[in-house]
Amino acid sequence: MKTVVKTNEPAILSNKNKFSFKKMDGNILRLLTIMFTLLIVASITKPDTFLSLANFLSMEKQLVEYGLMAIGVGIAMIAGGIDLSVVYIANLSAIVAGLFMQKFAIAISGPEQILFIVLGIILGLLTGVICGLFNGFLIAKLRVPAMLATLGTMQLYMGIAIIITGGSIVSGLPLPFAQLGRTNVFGIFTLSFIVYLVIVAFVAYYIGKTKYGLKLYLLGTNEKASRFAGIKNNQIIIRAYMISGVIAASAGLLSLARINSAKADFGSSFVMLTILIAVLGGINPDGGKGKIVGIFLATIIVQLMSSYLNMFPQISNFYRDMIWGIALIAILIVNYTLNKKSEAKLMRLTSQ
Amino acid sequence: MNTFTSKSVKKLATRPEFYVFIIILFLSLFIQAKSGLFFSNNNIVDLLRSMTVPLIYAICAYLGFVSTGPDVSFPLIAALSGYLATQFVIVTGYSGPIFVVFLVAILGGLIMGAINGFIIAKYNFPSLIVTLGTTSIFSGILLGVFEAGRIKLPESMIAFGQKSLIEVTNAETGLGSSLPMTFLIAIGLYILTYLFLNFTMAGRGVFAVGGDETSAERAGFNVKKIRFGVFTVNGGLAAIAGVCYSVESTYFLPTEFAGKEMIVIAAVILGGTRLMGGVGTLTGCVLGTLLLTIVTNSLILIGVPIYWQKFIIGAIIIVGTAISVIQISELKGFRRGRRKKVGVA
Repeated sequence: MKTVVKTNEPAILSNKNKFSFKKMDGNILRLLTIMFTLLIVASITKPDTFLSLANFLSMEKQLVEYGLMAIGVGIAMIAGGIDLSVVYIANLSAIVAGLFMQKFAIAISGPEQILFIVLGIILGLLTGVICGLFNGFLIAKLRVPAMLATLGTMQLYMGIAIIITGGSIVSGLPLPFAQLGRTNVFGIFTLSFIVYLVIVAFVAYYIGKTKYGLKLYLLGTNEKASRFAGIKNNQIIIRAYMISGVIAASAGLLSLARINSAKADFGSSFVMLTILIAVLGGINPDGGKGKIVGIFLATIIVQLMSSYLNMFPQISNFYRDMIWGIALIAILIVNYTLNKKSEAKLMRLTSQ
Repeated sequence: MNTFTSKSVKKLATRPEFYVFIIILFLSLFIQAKSGLFFSNNNIVDLLRSMTVPLIYAICAYLGFVSTGPDVSFPLIAALSGYLATQFVIVTGYSGPIFVVFLVAILGGLIMGAINGFIIAKYNFPSLIVTLGTTSIFSGILLGVFEAGRIKLPESMIAFGQKSLIEVTNAETGLGSSLPMTFLIAIGLYILTYLFLNFTMAGRGVFAVGGDETSAERAGFNVKKIRFGVFTVNGGLAAIAGVCYSVESTYFLPTEFAGKEMIVIAAVILGGTRLMGGVGTLTGCVLGTLLLTIVTNSLILIGVPIYWQKFIIGAIIIVGTAISVIQISELKGFRRGRRKKVGVA
């Protein structure tokens, strides 16, 4: 409740939404506090390694992939579902694009090569859309619970990726595409990070400010109410999973450019990490709550934490898994108690 | 008499187990026709042998689905408690009855299961998210804190693993195989689970809670207690599977456990367990596990590359869930109602 004082401004701006505004900003504020605390602690304890350009560049590169996937998971969660298949959609899209480029764009050069690379990227994104469409179809039309549907498609997409590659790694991409992953803008931003920022900004606008976003939140809060309000639930759900799919595909393409290869089971540990980020960002797994900006901040927090832990050689990577697991459950519990508290407050307010 | 049998046949034909059985029958005949090696005594024994651990896992997945939802933490609970039991024997130099080794593992498993159960029952979080989280924690403890690597099992455990129930050799090919004692453990666990689920009030409660939480609560079942119990027991079962698995391979292999959950879940779905809770039989679990074991063991025999496996597992999960969802909605008459409306519009 410390946040009340600091969030006066928006509260005055819109008296109508006073309550919800305070709460949302509280979450963002909490995330910002955690982020800056981490930043300061890391800078003080490890000034020479942490505060270097190389470190920031590598952080930018790493967070982009799971940051994008977490946004996909977050959109599905806002719609009241979950998308466990994002990691494998990303891999499948990267593999499809990679194989296409290998086949058509490697022997030629000049503008023709660029054309085929662009076609490859489009094909990869299209794969993501189709995968998302299939998820949405299962969830909206067949009414399979999102968790089980995406648990199945997760295996399915991995299976398809293994089948088309024969289980091997796709590598050796055309040079211009691989260079995309190495390009820096102004020397301090990687190109992939800029792409990431653009996607975050676009999705934050699309989910936060448009009619579609409003419908999505309504659907996530109460499916029945949104149906009775005349909203075509199926369309909203299918579109949500398609967006999630295409974002995952872009994550896959960025990782394809970065590491210059793709594999069917790359980044399996991201499944839990993306859920952790979404939940940390204030998305409620029950649906209807949370903001994309929150996911963005949570991604940065997780990356800061991860890079900071990396600076202690005695802490192995396996410890990181453990920390993410504990963090996920702890955040779930904290959010649960906070929600309970605010609900109780609401009850008190309305009963007076 | 005549009508009675036709009725029971009809009843049988509506159950998924029946179809799984038919598929198993045809598949085994097909493999036999193609390779001629299926109905040899050593192949059957091999099949039973490789089924042992998945069978125990299947109980975990089954109990999870019937009462609450997916449980994906059992392979890592198996790994961690298997490690604890192995370390116990190595550190203390214990060489008494193997029973005690199992007890140590089960104790560890029960504690880990109780953590799952506590979080899921107390806060009512989705079981998949919680068990994903705890999987990560257990894996971190096993590989990070304990820094477990490949360990050769102590003699007493190996001796138990090599005790065989039946030993056969194929007269034609000269290949021999043996059925380890662990198979008996799996069968024993199935009998115990069957008795518990069907003849105790708590056992019926497991189905009631999964079928409809509110109704179960009104009927006087303690929903939270039952869910806590189920996940705790799952931990214990997984621990037994963990020791069985290590004993079979004579090494403790910490990285071999993870990732086994999906195939078990697919097997349980194949056996007709409804993923939304409340419906499913142990017979189905056995048949589903048998079918998937045959499929994975014999994919090469019938000329399908092994890398189709993941695809098949995914397809089974999707189709299985979709079928049960459609069945439920037809039961409630949702679909028909919606179709009519569309026609009018």
